[in-house]
Amino acid sequence: MATIRTRPEGTARRTSPRPPGGRSWTATTLTGLGLLVLLAIHMVANHFVVRSVGGLRSYHQILEYISNPAIFTIEAIFLLFVTVHAMLGVRGVLLDLDPSPRAQRWIDAALVVLGLGTLAYGYLLIGTLASRA
Amino acid sequence: MSERPGPTGAAPGEHRDERGPVLRKGVGVPTSGWFDPRGRALGGFAFAANRVTGLGLVFYLYLHLGVLSLLLRGEGSWSDFLRIATSWAFLSLDVLLILGILYHGLNGIRVALVGSGIVADRQRALWWSLGVIGTIALVVSASHIYGSR
Repeated sequence: MATIRTRPEGTARRTSPRPPGGRSWTATTLTGLGLLVLLAIHMVANHFVVRSVGGLRSYHQILEYISNPAIFTIEAIFLLFVTVHAMLGVRGVLLDLDPSPRAQRWIDAALVVLGLGTLAYGYLLIGTLASRA
Repeated sequence: MSERPGPTGAAPGEHRDERGPVLRKGVGVPTSGWFDPRGRALGGFAFAANRVTGLGLVFYLYLHLGVLSLLLRGEGSWSDFLRIATSWAFLSLDVLLILGILYHGLNGIRVALVGSGIVADRQRALWWSLGVIGTIALVVSASHIYGSR
């Protein structure tokens, strides 16, 4: 049976288009899965290792802890994951309010700025503390 | 407690066995908002609770960064904070934080498994089983935190 091409090459209709927000959902899920591990390490190391009330570390114990290169790296990755996950989550909540495309662009820009600001402050904080040890 | 009628006036679940489009309270978020749990099934409650705990954790993230700023001021500021942070009331907030983390994290596992199609038809069973795991973890954590006093 002969077939006639009615559609130009390369513009074939996708049979299973990506759902709206698919990339955002995937990023939220992947950072969330990473956070399960990183947050578990963070919580156990900061609240369940040291023998003190609430497992909280003293000032010098914190400096010693954060100056360990492995811990510093883990905490830095944890901060990145938690910030990205938080910004994507807040974006999801705000987009559910059905903003206009213009407002949506503002939301995206504001969350990028907030996220970068959070990362900058967080890295400044742990970097300063690690350098004091 | 009386059940509210569905969008077609029929009782909720009446059309569950019928083929056809899924009946729901309209497209997207209902006018009452996602945070209104009234008349919702377990999935709606789980979603609303996930959002509430998520927003709470975002608030805590910035609160935590603010508190950690005390470390930059030196040992004295941190020691003063520790005196407050080790009070019974403050440790209770720690337990509340762990509750939020456990709920959001375990429900996130459920959403990932269901949303990715790995366990698409076991939403309810997942919610309850992860709920049991979360409750056990919360009790262990709370007993450890309060027991450290």
